[in-house]
Amino acid sequence: MAFTSQQVTSAAIDAMEFMDLSRKFRVTGVPKTIVNESIEIMGALPEDMFVRAALQVPDDEQTAQT
Amino acid sequence: MSLLSAQDEQVLKQHLSVIDKPVTVLLFTQTIGGSESGPVAKQVLDEVARLNDKISVVEKNFILDTEDRGKYGVTMAPALVFLSDGQDTRMRMYGAPTGYEFVGLVEALLIAGTGKVDLEDDTVALLAGVDTPTTIQVFSTPT
Repeated sequence: MAFTSQQVTSAAIDAMEFMDLSRKFRVTGVPKTIVNESIEIMGALPEDMFVRAALQVPDDEQTAQT
Repeated sequence: MSLLSAQDEQVLKQHLSVIDKPVTVLLFTQTIGGSESGPVAKQVLDEVARLNDKISVVEKNFILDTEDRGKYGVTMAPALVFLSDGQDTRMRMYGAPTGYEFVGLVEALLIAGTGKVDLEDDTVALLAGVDTPTTIQVFSTPT
């Protein structure tokens, strides 16, 4: 995502190495994703769900109907 | 002692052979007072870089290289910053890229080295609409 959009920066963080940061974002299980220090995504989601959650894009009609 | 076996090296070398542009990994480490994962990160990167002459590793001092820290927004060490043909890819890794994180390292090298990403069309379309700085932090563990 970071490579595709110049607005996006991505960081893979070792939760055990950086415990202070993990505590700050209440990382109690992995993977856990934090977007702009406010949006929390727990677990590994399918790509479309992850992207919509990360970018705060509402589900489209097709997705909403399923 | 090598972290990669001869067999691992052979498989990885084949994977990395598609790289067709220079990849630079900036490795920020803290020599004094830093964690033990800094030297581990360096060893992993050095072993991987040996397998492909388009991959290079440049070590940066987390404390002293403040200009580069600021330029790439590096806030912790060890940190890996991936450059594709000298350009920032905005991909970072914090911690030693071992265990499951090694897969992430290889993926980042392939993206930076080929310019190709394996994203769905819908994802690319959504990303085209992002008009504000967005930071995505993914916490994981090596094991």
